[in-house]
Amino acid sequence: MTVVLRIMLAVGMACGFLMPVGGAVAADAGRLNIVFVNPGKTGEVYWDMVAQTMQAAGRKLDAHVEVLTSERNYRTMQELGFGVVARADKPDFLILSNEESAAVPILEAAEAAGVKTLLLSNPLIGDDAARLGPPRQKLKTWLGDITTDLQTAGARMANALISAARAEKWQSPDGKIHILGIGGDEITPASIARNAGLKLAVEAAPDVVVDRMLFANWTQSEAEQVTRNYLSWAARKEIRPAGIWAGNDPMALGALRAVVAAGLTPGRNIQLVGLNWSEDALREIKAGRLLMTDGGHFLLGGWSIVLLRDYADGCDFAAASPRVEAKTSAITRDNLAAVGDLIKTRAFDRIDFARFRARAGRCGQYDFSIDALISSLTLPEGAAD
Amino acid sequence: MRNGDDMTDPDRKQQAAAPSRSRSVVRAMLWATVPVLLVVQLLASAGVEASSFWSQIRQLDARIARTAESRAELIAEPLWKMRYDQVTSVLNEIMHDETIAAAAVYDDTGVAIARVVARPADQAVSEVSRPIRYSNGNIAVQAGRIAIAYSYATVYADTGGRLMLLLVVGLLATFATLIAMRISANIFIGRPLTAIMSAIQRSKQDGRAYPADIKSTNEFGQLARAFNAMQHTTSGALDRLGHMAAHDPLTGLPNRRSLSEHLVTLSGDAGSPDSLIAFCFIDLDDFKGINDTFGHDAGDKFLVHISERLGDAVEPQDWVARLGGDEFVVIRPEVSNEATAQAFARQLLDAISEPIRLHDKQVVPRASIGLAVRRAGDPELSHLPALADIALYHAKSKAPGTVAVLDEALQRDYRRRRDLELAIPTGFAEGQFEVWYQSQVDLESQAVVGLEALIRWRHPELGLIGPGEFLPLIERSGNNARLTRYVLTDACRALQRLASAGRSQIRIAINLPPSELADHSLAAELRATCARFSVAASSLELEITEGSLINNIASASETLHRLRRLGATIALDDFGTGYSSLAHLRRFPLDKVKIDKAFISEIPDSAEDKAIVGVIASLAGTLGLTLVAEGIERPEQADAMREMGVMLGQGYHYHRPQPLDAVLQWLEKQAVPTETSRVLADSPSIAPEFAA
Repeated sequence: MTVVLRIMLAVGMACGFLMPVGGAVAADAGRLNIVFVNPGKTGEVYWDMVAQTMQAAGRKLDAHVEVLTSERNYRTMQELGFGVVARADKPDFLILSNEESAAVPILEAAEAAGVKTLLLSNPLIGDDAARLGPPRQKLKTWLGDITTDLQTAGARMANALISAARAEKWQSPDGKIHILGIGGDEITPASIARNAGLKLAVEAAPDVVVDRMLFANWTQSEAEQVTRNYLSWAARKEIRPAGIWAGNDPMALGALRAVVAAGLTPGRNIQLVGLNWSEDALREIKAGRLLMTDGGHFLLGGWSIVLLRDYADGCDFAAASPRVEAKTSAITRDNLAAVGDLIKTRAFDRIDFARFRARAGRCGQYDFSIDALISSLTLPEGAAD
Repeated sequence: MRNGDDMTDPDRKQQAAAPSRSRSVVRAMLWATVPVLLVVQLLASAGVEASSFWSQIRQLDARIARTAESRAELIAEPLWKMRYDQVTSVLNEIMHDETIAAAAVYDDTGVAIARVVARPADQAVSEVSRPIRYSNGNIAVQAGRIAIAYSYATVYADTGGRLMLLLVVGLLATFATLIAMRISANIFIGRPLTAIMSAIQRSKQDGRAYPADIKSTNEFGQLARAFNAMQHTTSGALDRLGHMAAHDPLTGLPNRRSLSEHLVTLSGDAGSPDSLIAFCFIDLDDFKGINDTFGHDAGDKFLVHISERLGDAVEPQDWVARLGGDEFVVIRPEVSNEATAQAFARQLLDAISEPIRLHDKQVVPRASIGLAVRRAGDPELSHLPALADIALYHAKSKAPGTVAVLDEALQRDYRRRRDLELAIPTGFAEGQFEVWYQSQVDLESQAVVGLEALIRWRHPELGLIGPGEFLPLIERSGNNARLTRYVLTDACRALQRLASAGRSQIRIAINLPPSELADHSLAAELRATCARFSVAASSLELEITEGSLINNIASASETLHRLRRLGATIALDDFGTGYSSLAHLRRFPLDKVKIDKAFISEIPDSAEDKAIVGVIASLAGTLGLTLVAEGIERPEQADAMREMGVMLGQGYHYHRPQPLDAVLQWLEKQAVPTETSRVLADSPSIAPEFAA
């Protein structure tokens, strides 16, 4: 047995990569060439982290991930996409994000060129969705989407607030629990989904009302301002604000500042929730001033490589659905310790992405939960000591 | 129409009247139209502007309401979503509207979320408030309220500005209208009026017709043409009137009025101030007789003949005029001396005296001429007619049919006459008139049977004046009646005294002037006066002349009958000198006839006179009339009269006129009649004796 293992190890080393230990793969397609046209800007935390997790996964799953940044310019993004499609040495996969629906022409070009594509985070919407239909039908090379379930995230955040308020009996004189919702905007699918989650949760709770759904353009300062206005208004209406639901962490932090300025004590007589797993949010969670931050969707980068690796190796995720929806997860004081550092240090190489590959015979079934993540983590280098 | 100014100062009037006339018309037009125009314009503008003002107010209200509603819509979402900065910025946008003074947004708790104030609301401010409704798919709520305070100041200012503009435009338009009306009125009204006025003024100055120079064909053109035609007509008529005013229509000679004008130019026309001007005042003698005899048409023809003769008799430089009636004037502007002038006057008389045929009868015209000669430089040249008249008076009264030249004596006479005439009222008032008496004697018995009352004037300065001089003056001054009453009263008093002196058989004769015979009250007064003095009217004898009978036969006859019925006797005086009409002797109730002394004076030498007196005496005897011979101065005359059957005599041979006292004394002496009872009166004799 030892001999066998040694031989295998030797073969593996000779081949230049290490076979995943636990992975049962039908066939090994060898090293993959993947290009990601990043719609974001250099320094934009979310997209940077997406690219970083993508590259970390590539290192784990024998894929070379080339990241092209379009710097938030959809023309640049399209030029980059067309450039990739037109290459003589075409990549195996092209990962696109349909921000501002700019990815559609690239998809079509890739179809023509026979380059396989995967849409990340932003799927087709509206007319495009209707025209092109589901993946692999009109566009054969469009393999599918990988997105996060932000509506569930929104609902989870709301439910956390409601539970806390109920536990603390923070009802207003009218007997209801009054919540303020702060959305990023009213038009992007990412925002709409989160807000819908809030709505779903509240509709299920008859003792809860959302006084206002305010929008702060994802920014801290605007969130602080509208929160201040809300608190003032609530005071005049003799409403006891029980919680503030914010569509992302910066807005939650802005609301936090307004709450403090209004003389309230976050965590003690009001609760706030955010989303994004941002470092500041984690710090506030640690300080007990923020109830939770949902998120982890930057891991879509890593998960996309997992899907493509499996696909390349013959385990097509479309066996379940060409549309893969990864759940987000909440970080609370309870699990903060486990993932806090990972995020703070962006040490995504600690994640053993191979452990997330589909089991043989169960193609398309993945567990991208935070528990799975936590259990996949290797100890940080300093922690072993 | 014409006043002193017009006549005296036509120039000034012309300058002042014509423009003022036209200005007043034009001004009246302007006053009548321009204020109305202005008021209507301003009222119309104000009305339009008022309606525009209210419309603007309504529009502003509506606009602000719309603004509030649209802002409410815009604000709803940021308000609901508590983006108060956006609310404020949306609110700020509406502040660009300058009518908006302030705006505020309140949320559903009533708290002002945003408030902007543009300017202090010091003017009338109105407010509009609208709810802000927010709704999305899930909810529809009233998120708050917007209130906008706005001011009408801009509307007021706009309206004020436009009103001011309209006022200015209205004033300018009115001013322009005023100017235009003024100019056109001056052109179309003022100028033609001035032209007509100017023509009138020029016509006034020299009486000639001046046409108004207007070419236009409008009403003023027609007026001007009518005016010019009228001017033409009027000037012709004026010329004729002027000629008629200055000329005698019958003879065509210049008239009295022309004489006055001619006299003014005489001195100027003369060669030198020393050249002599001869002024002949001609009066036809007995022209009345011609008229009476041949009728007035013949009289007129006669006058035309005379005028033609005068025209033929004069030189071209001479000037002939008829002053009216039978008076003519001939002026010769240059004569060498008074003698030449007199010769010229006689030449005129000769020309006049050529016989004229009237109704197949030869008539020899006779005239008297008063001649006055004066230097051309004489300042009293205008008195020439009066001076010549003095001479004429003399000629007529002293020597009809002759030329009388005005000299110092004549002028003295004239002045004396004039002074006497002026002194008549004083004479009556101060009793300067005295009645003297002259006796009438029975030629047979030499007894005094009567006295004739004769008037005298004892003038304080001129002394005793005979009746021949002053009686014509009394008559001319209308004092005949007064003098007659005066004499009558004195005569009655004299009768009273005669009666008391035992001479009641003596009767007194008084002379009645012709005018008294026409006075019907004379008889009554005579009776009353007689009654007052208790004398019988039969003691009075009234002497009349033939001339007074002729002028008013019927009236005289009646008066005489009345007097006679009272008992007075009537005597015909001066018989033989006048008409000596036998018919008169028969027709009138006469008792006596007095033979004029002209027939007596030559007796007994003149056989002719004796024959005449004889015939008169025999006639009187036949008619039963008593004859009286006047003017007996010598005994032979008395004898001759007695022989011819004349019963009574009167004259200096018997008795000169004396005041009553002297007469009474004389009668006293006559008590025993003697052969030679001739007593010369101690009073001065007055010759020639007129029967007064």
